[in-house]
Amino acid sequence: MIQTISTSHYLILAAALFCLGMLGVLIRRNALVVFMCIELMLNATNLTFLAFARERGDDLGHLSAFFIIAVAAAEAAVGLAIVISVFRARGTVNIEEIQSMKH
Amino acid sequence: MIIPHFTLNDFLPVMPVGVLMAAAIVLMLSEVFLTSTTRTYQAIIAALASIVAGGIAVNNAFEPARLVLQGYAVLDPFSSWTTAMVCLGTFLAVLLSAGFLKHRNAERGEFYALMLFAAAGMSLLSLSAEFITLFINLEVLSVATYALTAFLRRGPRPSEAGFKYFILGAFAAALLLYGAALIYGATGATKLVEVSAALPAAFAKSPALVYAGLGLVLAGFAFKVAAVPFHMWTPDVYEGAPTPVTALMSAGVKAAAFVAMVRTFLFLVKGIDPVIPFTVFSLLALLTMVGGNLLALPQRNVKRMLAYSSIAHAGYMLLGVAALFAPKLVEAGAKVGVLTATPLTGTAQDVSVAVYKGLLFYILGYTVTSLGAFGTISALERREDETRGNTWDLERFAGLAQRKPGWAAAMALFMLSLGGVPPTVGFLGKLFLFSAAVDAGLLGLAIVGVLSSVIGVYFYLRVVVYMFMRPAPIDAPAPFRHWTTELALVTSAVLVVGLGILPGTITEWFSRVGMVFGH
Amino acid sequence: MQSWIPILVYLAIASSVGFLMLGASRVLRVRAKDVPPTRELTYESGEEPVGNAWIRFHPRYYVVALVFILFDVETAFLVPWALNVRALGRFAIVEMIVFVVILLLGWVYALRKGALKWQ
Repeated sequence: MIQTISTSHYLILAAALFCLGMLGVLIRRNALVVFMCIELMLNATNLTFLAFARERGDDLGHLSAFFIIAVAAAEAAVGLAIVISVFRARGTVNIEEIQSMKH
Repeated sequence: MIIPHFTLNDFLPVMPVGVLMAAAIVLMLSEVFLTSTTRTYQAIIAALASIVAGGIAVNNAFEPARLVLQGYAVLDPFSSWTTAMVCLGTFLAVLLSAGFLKHRNAERGEFYALMLFAAAGMSLLSLSAEFITLFINLEVLSVATYALTAFLRRGPRPSEAGFKYFILGAFAAALLLYGAALIYGATGATKLVEVSAALPAAFAKSPALVYAGLGLVLAGFAFKVAAVPFHMWTPDVYEGAPTPVTALMSAGVKAAAFVAMVRTFLFLVKGIDPVIPFTVFSLLALLTMVGGNLLALPQRNVKRMLAYSSIAHAGYMLLGVAALFAPKLVEAGAKVGVLTATPLTGTAQDVSVAVYKGLLFYILGYTVTSLGAFGTISALERREDETRGNTWDLERFAGLAQRKPGWAAAMALFMLSLGGVPPTVGFLGKLFLFSAAVDAGLLGLAIVGVLSSVIGVYFYLRVVVYMFMRPAPIDAPAPFRHWTTELALVTSAVLVVGLGILPGTITEWFSRVGMVFGH
Repeated sequence: MQSWIPILVYLAIASSVGFLMLGASRVLRVRAKDVPPTRELTYESGEEPVGNAWIRFHPRYYVVALVFILFDVETAFLVPWALNVRALGRFAIVEMIVFVVILLLGWVYALRKGALKWQ
């Protein structure tokens, strides 16, 4: 018996990816890994848009994914530049060591 | 296929943005093609561009509210006034930056270009009426401010602040976007008008999806406006960023995100039990007002204190947002304990007009005041102190009144305005906003607001006390003088007093009916 | 649910094979008294490895790669445009010209700034 992959499969996968990304942002200590987790969240969002677009058969979701990819690239460029400047200033990308300001 | 047909009318709301973007590109190219050593002209170009853009926006504010660009954007007085205020904030921030950067020998066309890009993002954010447009504009504004935050690469602080801002900003944007994706799934639309038409049916079919989507969108916005409990990035980012950038963030970014949030939720709450948005926004307002003021209380670092104070001010604005949702609640006859809305004193129409007036006037007042306050701080900073971390200590302000009475008087004025003491614009803003909240029936929350702003007066006045009643330390820094900085501070001070005494026509403009499209 | 059982069985067998092999080699292996230094090395087809795998790449790669990625992604907008440009007519052409001109200005900036120079 062959089952086709339904929209809910895509949605569950996307939700899982999103939650993984979110957890990663909250608990990982390496700045680059945190950065990748944010990209993971955006891609999970893309998958959600595409899954819904596939179900409905309209192209709005595809359009959204296009723009999200472009924006994510721009964001990644600035984000990586910032991570590099943190590394140059501190010699580390461990988030726990990047805490100079006191409350 | 729908072939788009646009007229010049459609492009009216994006004209100010066009001016800002064009000036930004000119500034970037001037940096690589001209090799002049003095760069004050770049600040002047940027300042002129923001004045022109602001002028166009003010002109747009008298157009009737309507959808433009196939429903991707709105042209209404609410967004046009926000654009105008963003341009005013950018104008002042650019002038402050000119002196600030010159002192640090870091004048670059890119800095002003990024400020103008950020301003363009803010203006666009306030008029977006579609989720993807909203997301893109949010990112235009955010990416520019991340870069600005980390712009000065001396010492660890700017890059650290930039990194924190980037991570939490990108996180918030991702939350918002995922929420938008879920709402798209539930309604099949991303334009706010279509979403709001499809929401009641979608809500009946899959409530969980809609709730999750709304919650995520709200969380995304709450991060951007720094509402408690989504505020934890604010103090570090505000402290670490170059002070003129902090000023722009506290005024412009917050105002734009606020306006976008109000617009989005006005459309999104259709078909939902009115108790839910009202309760959520009241709770956020309560936590943010009280939390921001209490957290600012023990701060000796004036810049950090102002960061917490900006959280508190976001709380007062959230009170206005909660008041917008109160009339619907009363119509439905609901009761929700302590935060209950009592019957209105006016019609729902009157209440929303009063709230929009209050919100816009508050944003205007906060823009000029916070730019003035951060501007004074930026002039008192010494480059050498940046690594030591006591740059912004209260002691730095001790005896300023004897050394530089003009600067001390200006700073005192800004502090009084932040605290809401008459005759300043801060007082009138609070008066309008709180009385609108009372009209909407939010008596309890308004009382909490007044009480928490009394706490605020304590730490604002402490700065005044240090300036006027403490002897100056021997190595007290003299303010760094530059004509642009002084021009910016004088402008803010004049506006703080002028708008506080004669709000006149501006409040009339702000209380026009048909302020917000679709409300 | 029924149709998933073969997959579960397959997964169980596949993972147990892995564990069995590792366990068997652990039990059966010969334990050397002294560890020769060559044993710790990465096996690279009989060659001695040179340098560390975790080297830091020069920032130049990073700048060029970023500029590439940005323009690369923006190009993605050209494909749907090219597929529909006939139907959309003059407006689409003007719009794409504006888009490409803005990108070109960005490229001119990067070029003049020296971001693309390999020196």
